[in-house]
Amino acid sequence: MIKNKIIGVLFLSFFTAGLVAAKPAPAAAKTATVPTVITGVIAADMPYDAGGAALLRWPVGPGENPETIYTVYASSVGNGGWIKAEEFTGQEKTGKTLELPFWAWDGSQTEHAVKIDLANMFGESVAGSVFYLKISAMNNGKLAAESADIAVTPIGNWFRLDRVNNLILLIVVIIVFFWAVSHAKRKGLFIRRIAGLDAIDEAIGRATEMGKPIYYMPGIGSMSSISTIASAFILGEVAKKVAQYDSTIKVPHYDPIVMTVCKEVVKQSFLEAGRPDSYRDDINFFVSQDQFSYAASVDGMISREKPAACFFMGYFMAESLLLAEVGATSGAIQIAGTDVEHQLPFFFTACDYTLMGEELYAAGAYLSKEPMLLSALKVQDFGKLIVMVSVFFGIILVSLAGWFHWDQVVRIILNLFKVY
Amino acid sequence: MKFIKKQIPLLIVLVVGVLTLASYYVPHQSSVNFLEMMNKWENIVSAFAFFLGLISLFYTHYSKISRKVDGWGYSLFVFVGFFAMVIPAILCHGKMMDEAGKTALGWSFSFIYNPLSATMFAILAFYIVSTAYRSFRIKSAQALVLFVCAFILILGKVPLGQMIWDSVMGWTRTGISDVIEWIMSYPAVAGKRGIMIGIAIGAVVTSFKIIFGIERQYMGKD
Repeated sequence: MIKNKIIGVLFLSFFTAGLVAAKPAPAAAKTATVPTVITGVIAADMPYDAGGAALLRWPVGPGENPETIYTVYASSVGNGGWIKAEEFTGQEKTGKTLELPFWAWDGSQTEHAVKIDLANMFGESVAGSVFYLKISAMNNGKLAAESADIAVTPIGNWFRLDRVNNLILLIVVIIVFFWAVSHAKRKGLFIRRIAGLDAIDEAIGRATEMGKPIYYMPGIGSMSSISTIASAFILGEVAKKVAQYDSTIKVPHYDPIVMTVCKEVVKQSFLEAGRPDSYRDDINFFVSQDQFSYAASVDGMISREKPAACFFMGYFMAESLLLAEVGATSGAIQIAGTDVEHQLPFFFTACDYTLMGEELYAAGAYLSKEPMLLSALKVQDFGKLIVMVSVFFGIILVSLAGWFHWDQVVRIILNLFKVY
Repeated sequence: MKFIKKQIPLLIVLVVGVLTLASYYVPHQSSVNFLEMMNKWENIVSAFAFFLGLISLFYTHYSKISRKVDGWGYSLFVFVGFFAMVIPAILCHGKMMDEAGKTALGWSFSFIYNPLSATMFAILAFYIVSTAYRSFRIKSAQALVLFVCAFILILGKVPLGQMIWDSVMGWTRTGISDVIEWIMSYPAVAGKRGIMIGIAIGAVVTSFKIIFGIERQYMGKD
């Protein structure tokens, strides 16, 4: 009896197991084994670049979820050699997230748009070559969908349409610049006083009375730095006054090219002041192209010679305080000017007068009093006016648009003021 | 002569300036190549200019030694320092390390140059203290604002300062770190951005003055 029951249970167990095995697999498992094809994929050259990237677009799938992981592969041969180029989840990298402004790109949330940086993967010279791209989608670690291989040829573009906002602003500033320069020829312009520049006469006069030298430091910037160029302009005016007062100036240099330019500037200033005989070739001298060696050497000179005045004009880094503090301890009148905003506090505390950023650029014009140069200062004021008006109305518009949920308006405003 | 000395340099400045400006809007490879070429040229000119600098350095210090001016002994160290680095560099073919370890050049860098450089940088700490002392003397309303902000920042950076703040200002229910964050995020950033905007506009206008030949003092006036 018991034997019959056992046989019956075993028979039922095998029958049930057979039924379970014969049941069809769930739908998800079926798609995992037979991936679907991603359709509607478009591969094109990435617009507005040097030809080193491609743009891949395809519609957002109906079954996509945050767990879907897309992987884009790139190859230079097509039949193998696939390199993983991008990997992201289903909710990322849509037409809206591509970093391009509204006038240069019409992307939507309903499509994926991915920039594939081919130059990074295959070297710099990829423009004009054929590359192959393919996409795969994974769901829960299983291959869910795949695209066919798509060929693309990146090409170099000739115009950055995304930077057209910047170009328009540039053209406006150039027009205002030429208007201001031509306007300056007809009548004079009012320029506000800059205390630091008015004190130059006082500093040179003091040096003359005391019979001590003036030290002029043009900083550690190269000749391509705007602040160094501005410093050379100021040096010209300072040297002219030094020549007129028959005082002594010393210009220690960090950069040999700056030294060569400054030699010409100082020589010209002495000529213009009618004192070419007072010019010496060792007014400008090279010290070192090492930041702290330069600072140590100049500190030593200032400590020993106790100059009557020190000028620090140009690009300065950590040596700003090393130089200015030694100058302050030696009792010199100190006038500084730099466009490195994080060095300004050091100069403020250690110097008698400090020119902040744009004042440094304006100093050459202010001292020379040439109408053409002075008129350019008006362009700076115009630029600041544009910024102030833009910031004021930009804040109001973005706040209002945010309040009323006008996302498109917010996007337009932010795109207009963004640098691409 | 004036044409060669004045007009041609101005023309070069105009052409190179406009092309460099245009390259910002032209992404093509030819534009990238142009910028790379300009950078190479700058490096080549810098290399030649370095010799000029070296000649100037030697001339200045040699004349100091020969004229026995005050402190001429320091000028001797220029030559000593120069040869102390250049001779090992030549002997070691410019290599800092070899199979045996540090070369003479590597040793000079590690045990002469680096300690001297670090010493100069370390002096900065003492100068910051003396500068801070000077700037904390309250002479005006602006200096008072500076002092108050700096004092709060210093206080918040040390545990003792945080304890003092909590015991004195605890009733405000605002931690000193919140105050510091506010100072650094709002007034400091606002001031900094103001300066930076002014600098950017000034740089653009100065560039125009040079590119269009209105400012030409860098090459003499006549």
